[in-house]
Amino acid sequence: MLGFSNGSGGGGVGAEDLAQFQATMRAIELACSYIQINSNPVAAEATILSLHQSPQPYKACRYILEHSQVANARFQAAAAIREAAIREWSFLATDDKGGLINFCLGYVMQHANSSEGYVLSKVSSVAAQLMKRGWLEFTPAEKEVFFYQINQAILGSRGLDVQFIGVNFLESLVSEFSPSTSSAMGLPREFHENCRKSLEQNFLKTFYQWAQDAALSVTNKIIESHSSVPEVKVCNATLRLMHQILNWEFRYSKGGTRASINVFSDGIRADNAFSRKTECVIVQPGASWCDVLLSSSHVGWLINIYSSVRQKFDLEGYWLDCPVAVSARKLIVQLCSLAGKIFPSDNGQMQEQHLLLLLSGVLPWIDPPDVISKEIEEGRSGSEMIDGCRALLSIGTVTTPVVFDKLLRSLRPFGTLTLLSMLMGEVVKVLMANSTDEETWSYEARDILLDTWTTLLASMDGSGGNARLPPEGMHAAASLFSLIVESELKVASASATTEDDADCLASVSAMDERLGSYALIARAAVDATIPFLAKLFSDHVARLHQGRGTVDPTETLEEVYSLLLIIGHVLADEGEGETALVPDALQSHFVDVVEANNHPVVVLSSSIIKFAEQCLDAEMRSSIFSPRLMEAVIWFLARWSFTYLMLVEDCNLGSNQLQSLRSRACLFTFFNEHNQGKFVLDIIVRISLTSLMSYPGEKDLQDSWRNLANAFANDKTLFLLNSVSQRSLAQTLVLSAYGMRSSDASNQYVKDLMAHMTSSLVDLSNNSDLKNLAQQPAIIMLVSCVLERLRGAASATEPRTQRAIYEMGLSVMNPVLRLLEVYKHESAVIYLLLKFVVDWVDGQLSYLEAHETAVVINFCMSLLQIYSSHNIGKISLSLSSTLLNEAKTEKYKDLRALLQLLSHLCSKDMVDFSSDSIETQSTNISQVVYFGLHIITPLITLELLKYPKLCFDYFSLISHMLEVYPETLAQLNNDAFSHVVTTVDFGLHQQDVDIVTMCLRALKALASYHYKEKNTGNSGLGSHAAGHTDPNGVFHEGILSRFLRTLLHFLLFEDYSTDLVSTAADALFPLILCEPNLYQGLGNELIEKQANPNFKTRLANALQVLTTSNQLSSSLDRLNYPRFRKNLNNFLVEVRGFLKTR
Amino acid sequence: MSDDEHHFESSDAGASKTYPQQAGNIRKGGHIVIKGRPCKVVEVSTSKTGKHGHAKCHFVAIDIFTSKKLEDIVPSSHNCDVPHVNRVDYQLIDISEDGFVSLLTDNGSTKDDLKLPTDEALLTQLKNGFDEGKDIVVSVMSAMGEEQMCALKEVGPK
Repeated sequence: MLGFSNGSGGGGVGAEDLAQFQATMRAIELACSYIQINSNPVAAEATILSLHQSPQPYKACRYILEHSQVANARFQAAAAIREAAIREWSFLATDDKGGLINFCLGYVMQHANSSEGYVLSKVSSVAAQLMKRGWLEFTPAEKEVFFYQINQAILGSRGLDVQFIGVNFLESLVSEFSPSTSSAMGLPREFHENCRKSLEQNFLKTFYQWAQDAALSVTNKIIESHSSVPEVKVCNATLRLMHQILNWEFRYSKGGTRASINVFSDGIRADNAFSRKTECVIVQPGASWCDVLLSSSHVGWLINIYSSVRQKFDLEGYWLDCPVAVSARKLIVQLCSLAGKIFPSDNGQMQEQHLLLLLSGVLPWIDPPDVISKEIEEGRSGSEMIDGCRALLSIGTVTTPVVFDKLLRSLRPFGTLTLLSMLMGEVVKVLMANSTDEETWSYEARDILLDTWTTLLASMDGSGGNARLPPEGMHAAASLFSLIVESELKVASASATTEDDADCLASVSAMDERLGSYALIARAAVDATIPFLAKLFSDHVARLHQGRGTVDPTETLEEVYSLLLIIGHVLADEGEGETALVPDALQSHFVDVVEANNHPVVVLSSSIIKFAEQCLDAEMRSSIFSPRLMEAVIWFLARWSFTYLMLVEDCNLGSNQLQSLRSRACLFTFFNEHNQGKFVLDIIVRISLTSLMSYPGEKDLQDSWRNLANAFANDKTLFLLNSVSQRSLAQTLVLSAYGMRSSDASNQYVKDLMAHMTSSLVDLSNNSDLKNLAQQPAIIMLVSCVLERLRGAASATEPRTQRAIYEMGLSVMNPVLRLLEVYKHESAVIYLLLKFVVDWVDGQLSYLEAHETAVVINFCMSLLQIYSSHNIGKISLSLSSTLLNEAKTEKYKDLRALLQLLSHLCSKDMVDFSSDSIETQSTNISQVVYFGLHIITPLITLELLKYPKLCFDYFSLISHMLEVYPETLAQLNNDAFSHVVTTVDFGLHQQDVDIVTMCLRALKALASYHYKEKNTGNSGLGSHAAGHTDPNGVFHEGILSRFLRTLLHFLLFEDYSTDLVSTAADALFPLILCEPNLYQGLGNELIEKQANPNFKTRLANALQVLTTSNQLSSSLDRLNYPRFRKNLNNFLVEVRGFLKTR
Repeated sequence: MSDDEHHFESSDAGASKTYPQQAGNIRKGGHIVIKGRPCKVVEVSTSKTGKHGHAKCHFVAIDIFTSKKLEDIVPSSHNCDVPHVNRVDYQLIDISEDGFVSLLTDNGSTKDDLKLPTDEALLTQLKNGFDEGKDIVVSVMSAMGEEQMCALKEVGPK
């Protein structure tokens, strides 16, 4: 008995105990006050920690909670109860478990009017956590008893404070049961999943009803009173609870098809794929919730209370931001996104009614837009208007554009889309008017509204172009788009002269996302927007020409820059490696256009190309085409040509029903091979060349050009032969060989392309004065460029060009080794060398025949040897810490490249396209990789393993090696073997779960290999496993014994993620089988150490069960591993609690 | 000393101490001359004056001999001086009492004009290694008429 099961409290406490409790209380109070004034916090924390960790501190904690005057001390006592009870749960008596929860609940209700709210909510959350911990063991009757109390409290029979406490408790309980907000309890995920299922199916709806009842009981008071009353607090709590319950990720009510729990699938909803800035969770509680949420006029009540209170406090601006108003609006917005089986299948009528009701409630927040926005600009809070936007977003998420538009028609003479357009128009106007950098309400509103458009239009965009907005909606979209463009251009010209410090990647991608949404709006009304853009563009170009030489063009340039970005987004989608089709909206509109020259898309595209062509003229270039503008031009051309240029007929055709459209045919054929295509292509290529020659040193620009060149790779062009230094260029050029007719031709082409580069390397390396020559910056530069190009070419290996690239590599093998020697101090060059070899080997290895493989592998080995002979034991003598760090980083990058090289070599055993049969395989890859490891492991220090990426690469290689070729590990010499083992041991103690997992897998491989070999009479790991006695007579135990110890210690005493338990089980099982005697010994040692006889027997039993239950046998087969995993899980739950107690 | 300097000049007859290179082509990890000092570049960033202006390179570099930090800004299309940095490995023969080391050159003669490193830890490492009889190779870096020991490595039989 811990003194909790009888509710009457401390009657049985002896005088001796009492004195001790008082002492504890004083110590804790003192510690708390020390922490507060920050004097010797370490000691104070230690005091508090010792309370948390002491065995069964419940009585003391209870004493503190009931008697201490210091709120912090009470807080800590509650925390200690939680900590200890979770730890010791498995061996608490059933009475005590219930007693603890009852005590916590009773405590909060008794002290419901206390002013220290945080203590109460802590105690209440402790009660919630303990209730969850015992959830699966309590009988329904026991739960009934707890919830009876709660229900009584919520009904309000014990006063407002208790009512509040009751609601609050349910809130913590729900959040504790929801997996994303639950606290860790050291239990497997299945436990949390079972709790969640039970709560969702049996309690959640009841809680919601209680919350409704509680809210109803206070509503009248709130509406009637003229100032704020205490009832508001309760009302707010109930609204929050309802919001939280609806936030639950409902899973088990979608028809109940899922019989078993799959803890790993996340049940991701099939919302739309667009990533959005604003969160909008669809609420799908299932059919059983219909009575609570829909037929009980719950929504009407909610809207009613909000609007009536809003009316009452109309004059007091603060009210919009007070908690109860915020919670009520949140709930309303949430109800807008109600969807799924809760609505009967009646063609969406019920859902429409539901949404209409909500919309009518939300309308006063946003309509009329101009008045509202004016009020906000004059100082009213914008939060209500923003919530209104959110509500529109929610409605947009669960409806189609047509239904969405129709909703408002019964309330207003126009549709919802028009309202949306007007609203966003107002927001954009406000944004234009005060273009300060401050984050204001208008930014937030714009993002939400833009998301609403995206949500609505994205569903249309993918539906084959047939779905259209109603005419009025199109009109709304068109006028909104022109407003948006106007505002973007205004922003652009205003920012033209400012230094762009903020031009970081985040803002660029945000901008890209925004332009993507704008493009959707534009495409919803292409009939108006495309001609509009064309006119705007030609106006701007005309303005540039007019002012040439007289007016500073910067502002106009920036406007053209923005305009190009916008038009690029409207006309074409981003390919991302796929071939982007002409957007559906552009294909299906403009039906009456029969002549290509009049097709608005053609007109717009042509005018831009014509403008771009002017950059070929040197004078125009210097006066108009600034590097930044050129960047946009090239970007636009790249994006555009990817979609429109040289369309191959029939392969890019979209859905069939569109094929008959003549306008579409115009658009498709205009830029193809037989029409304007060649001409345009020629222009674009010349523009590209110009941009490369005339804008050196403009890095951004060349990057865009690369994209353009990539777009060309699929075309049969050979225009680009006068090559320029860049890896990607080489890559692109080599890739372009892919399009050639025969593989002979492609190989010949690659050979011609790369010949002068390889020969320049060969010539250089044969130069007798190489040593001096090589150090000249110009030569270093040349070598770097050539290596970059070779690397680019190597990474472009395709089956067709593989031969030529193999020969290219073969011819530079010796030069590479010589250069490795010569440039040993020039780390930048060394890195390039290594990266080239890595990429080359990666591209080639799987195609090579046996004798070629041998050549490549010998080459890699010499490379590794030379590299390591230069670097082992090398110490940099620089005085500058920056340079020393640089040196370290360089070394790390080199080693990472070498590890990648070894990993690629490994892959030869997995993927092999060579014609040889497996028998003729002359090179044993595992030998080679081990040899490689031999060479580079001395270079990998534990210090270097602190680089996360290197660490990851190293351990993935090691665990792969051990899993696939454990036999070769046994053959390693002692030094290398112990180095590998040391690093694995090091890896086990890393924080990163992935690293630990890989080490555990390596261990599993080692131990199971040894066990299996032993069973078949072989020596397995031999002396490494057996241990040895050194010359001084000291016995060193074998590595398996060492790891068994380490792993057991890790599992029992250290903190780790529960995800690791299964992998650890897989490693532990073979280790135990390998070293049964040691395991027995360790087990006995553990048992002996336990002072408490009760724990002793529990531990002994648990150890017994661990290796015997579930029909576990001593063979390493597929059945036994999962059995042992299960056993280990149970074992840890059973004993970790008291083993960790100090 | 003057003899040695003369010797240095003659062996590199005709070779200049620096080379021109376009600023946009100088990368991190490369070398550059700033305020007459040979440096190693540790950071390069490019910036523009106004959005439609031309790019400039901003170099942060460290003097390879004194370890002092220097900075420079150069338009990306202009030329910079790049020092000719040479590194030669020598076998360590002796450490003399007066703070100089004696090194064996490739052609069998000795080079006795190089100072010991000033850093205490490295000095002990060098001395200890030498006293234990290990074979030590030192790398000597020279640029623009100066030279300094930049790395050492223990070789010799395992």
